[in-house]
Amino acid sequence: MLGTLIRKEMLLNLLSFKFSIITVLSTILILVSIFIMYRDYGLALENYEILASESAAAVIPPTPLSIFAKGLEENLCRAHVLGFGQRISASSKQQSVNDLFKVFTVPDLLYIIKVILSLCAMLFAFDMVSGEKEAGTLRQSLSGSLGRPILIAGKWIGGFVSFILPFFLAVLLGTIFVTSLPMVQMNTQDWAKLGLFLLSSVIYLAVFFSLGLLISCLTHRSSTSLVLSLFVWAILVFLIPNLGNILARQFVEVPTVQQLELRRRQIAISAWQEVNRLQLVRERMARLERSRSEQDQVTEDYRNRFDRLVTLSQSITRVSPTAAFTFLATDLMGTGMLEEGRLKNAVVKYMFGAGDEEGRDRPRFSYQRTSWREVLGRGGLNNLLILVLFNILIFSGAYVAFLRYDAR
Amino acid sequence: MLKTIVTREFLDNILNLRFMIGLLLCLIVTVACIIILSHDYRQELADYSLRVNLQEEFLGKYALAGWVGQLIPGQKPPERFRPLIIGIPTNESQDSFYDNPLPILFPSLDFLFIVTIIMSLLAILFSYDAITGERQSGTLRLVIANSVSRTTILLGKFIGGTASLIIPFILAILVGVLYINLNPNIQWDGSAWAELALLTAASITFITSFYLLGLMVSTFSTHSAISILNCLFLWVFLVLVIPNVGPYVSAQLRRIPSITATARRAEELSRACRETWHQRREELVEQFRGKYGGLFSKLEALDFGLILYDDRGDAEKVQELAAADPQFKAMVDDFRGEVNRIGREWQQASSQAEDELWTDLRTKAAAQTRLAKNLAGISPLADYVYVARDLTGTGLRSLKYFEEFKGKYRRRFGEYKAKVTAAVVAAHKNEPSPPGGWFLDLRDHPRFVFQEESLKGKLGAALPYWGILGLFNVVFFAAAFAKFMRYDVR
Repeated sequence: MLGTLIRKEMLLNLLSFKFSIITVLSTILILVSIFIMYRDYGLALENYEILASESAAAVIPPTPLSIFAKGLEENLCRAHVLGFGQRISASSKQQSVNDLFKVFTVPDLLYIIKVILSLCAMLFAFDMVSGEKEAGTLRQSLSGSLGRPILIAGKWIGGFVSFILPFFLAVLLGTIFVTSLPMVQMNTQDWAKLGLFLLSSVIYLAVFFSLGLLISCLTHRSSTSLVLSLFVWAILVFLIPNLGNILARQFVEVPTVQQLELRRRQIAISAWQEVNRLQLVRERMARLERSRSEQDQVTEDYRNRFDRLVTLSQSITRVSPTAAFTFLATDLMGTGMLEEGRLKNAVVKYMFGAGDEEGRDRPRFSYQRTSWREVLGRGGLNNLLILVLFNILIFSGAYVAFLRYDAR
Repeated sequence: MLKTIVTREFLDNILNLRFMIGLLLCLIVTVACIIILSHDYRQELADYSLRVNLQEEFLGKYALAGWVGQLIPGQKPPERFRPLIIGIPTNESQDSFYDNPLPILFPSLDFLFIVTIIMSLLAILFSYDAITGERQSGTLRLVIANSVSRTTILLGKFIGGTASLIIPFILAILVGVLYINLNPNIQWDGSAWAELALLTAASITFITSFYLLGLMVSTFSTHSAISILNCLFLWVFLVLVIPNVGPYVSAQLRRIPSITATARRAEELSRACRETWHQRREELVEQFRGKYGGLFSKLEALDFGLILYDDRGDAEKVQELAAADPQFKAMVDDFRGEVNRIGREWQQASSQAEDELWTDLRTKAAAQTRLAKNLAGISPLADYVYVARDLTGTGLRSLKYFEEFKGKYRRRFGEYKAKVTAAVVAAHKNEPSPPGGWFLDLRDHPRFVFQEESLKGKLGAALPYWGILGLFNVVFFAAAFAKFMRYDVR
């Protein structure tokens, strides 16, 4: 019976106008996005080749996975050099010439999945129960020997499979196209990460599909279900992740970067002016050492506050599956907060580790992006579990609501 | 009759569930957003004051002539519309090693977000079934069967629907205005309130364009279910896709070198100029050898006495010889003049080549940004963002304005510093300069007080995009009108 139900649901969806429009929309968007981001990756590679020729700079190559989730890639691929007053400075970002990039969002696959396809998932599911009730087919189905658990399971499986198939085909097409090009060199790690990213995307989209089903089970008219679905979607996708970030700032006071840089510059200038007045080399060295430790203290205080802000912000925003998915996806692709923190530590260690003050005798900077196992071990698995938990909770809610649903 | 239709449409909407949800969402989100952003604004103001004081204190202690260049004040104050709209980050804060990357992953929530995402979605939800819903319920044919013209019906639906949509929005703004007015940290003058009024008017133009989009799609459909899907399809493209894709497409169509590549090219040019300079110097030496023969060998033997090279040569001996022999002096003067001339030529050629390179990059970048702006402008969202940011001084234009303002201040500061330095040097005429230069007393230096651009200037920049928003309204209404005239109400 379950097979019949799944088949019926799939056929119903495949023949609907909704399916055609969502398939066309998602296919166009995914392919356009992958193509645009592939060209952007090409520019990043060109930029890297120029930056890498400077031996004193700590710079890492862009990852081909940034085509799918760009995240903080522009920050990560800057060249870091040690400048005046033992200050690590970062080069301009690749796109910093065109200021309009600062106004709008990056249209990568991650954005399409977390914003547009989550909306599509809800649009697929919002009238699954309330729509059938309005059409009168629900009471006919339930008048037979069909149990409600089987009916809801059939609806979920059939609906979700018909929704996810076009998405998978479009991503597959885009991935084959991109990886067949000579510029993109993916190793086994990258493939494993891409696989995990797609798996987490499916789990994430299932959350929104279940949510649409839950709302459908809680309402009796599809127009009400639609309005509620859209509002819940707007709250989960936009409101909570964006609000959580600024809400965290209310609890942890972090000075602005301008203030930090100003303080560091002032410490360095005052030290150098005093050094010029000192006669003994030993005294000069001691003064410079004191200046460095003062700067380190200011920076450490900033970093500690900043780390607290990030942790709190992550905890608040995880109330939304979108935030959990964003953290998980960007970390998996090596373009997230985890990689950013790890790279900064590596750069600091490199700059103040081997070699002398001017950077002579310093070996070339080498850095290995986080492996998928490490990502899962350092918070990734938690995010994945949060998504799974959302699925279980929401589907259970939909199941209970459907058991008590008045089909008349 | 128009009034009756407007009243009916209005009442119909406000008794609907979507109105209640919209009202609650608007009020809660707007008020929460203003309260949180006002708190942020207070923190940023405190941070700004601290930075200004730090710089003043530092200038009082460490203003050595050689270091003042790094100590010139010019901190950017938080934008006065910060309690409503989060400004665009400056390159200074983005290009720091210790920058905060979180806003890249989650763009912050502000008034622009509320209008562009929540209100546009709400507008579509209010209008997607304005025609199809009535057709399906059968009331449309009943209304048309009377002596009501289709124009009146459409106009009534537009006015009534927009009025019911604008109410939650205006209420939310009023509560926000009350909060801003009562908050002692926020001191707005007349021009700021005028900007807020204009911002509200621009927001209403944007919201009505999406209401009309929904109305237009409704006249093109026969069923509400199809109408909503088409509406959301268009909404996704206009709000989520076109504005974000615009800059990337323009980056491909008009490719420009990165800052790093340009800096590298500038270095190469400078190196090439320096090589030419070295070559010209050698030619000059050859030329003088031929011209002065043995006399010039004397100068050569003294390593050209600091004339040709900065780091070697016996200048004192050359001076002695010049004092004793007028012919030698004439040759040295001639040689020095020629060396200085080719040195000036080299510096001029080098800086000109570099300037040309950077100007070329700026011109290309401006062309790319213009193209990106125009491409994104296909969407009403981008046009509204330009209008709102330009009007409130939170956009790219305001960043440019701030840089120009700061540049003018720096020039004034430079003139002041030159005057003080000259006075200090005159006072210590016969003493050698200490490392880093003399200490300058800059207590009465010109203060950096940022002044907002005039409303006229801001309005001038915003009007073209506001006009496009108005055009979207006209086009959507005209299309809805044309289609509704031939709409099959059965």
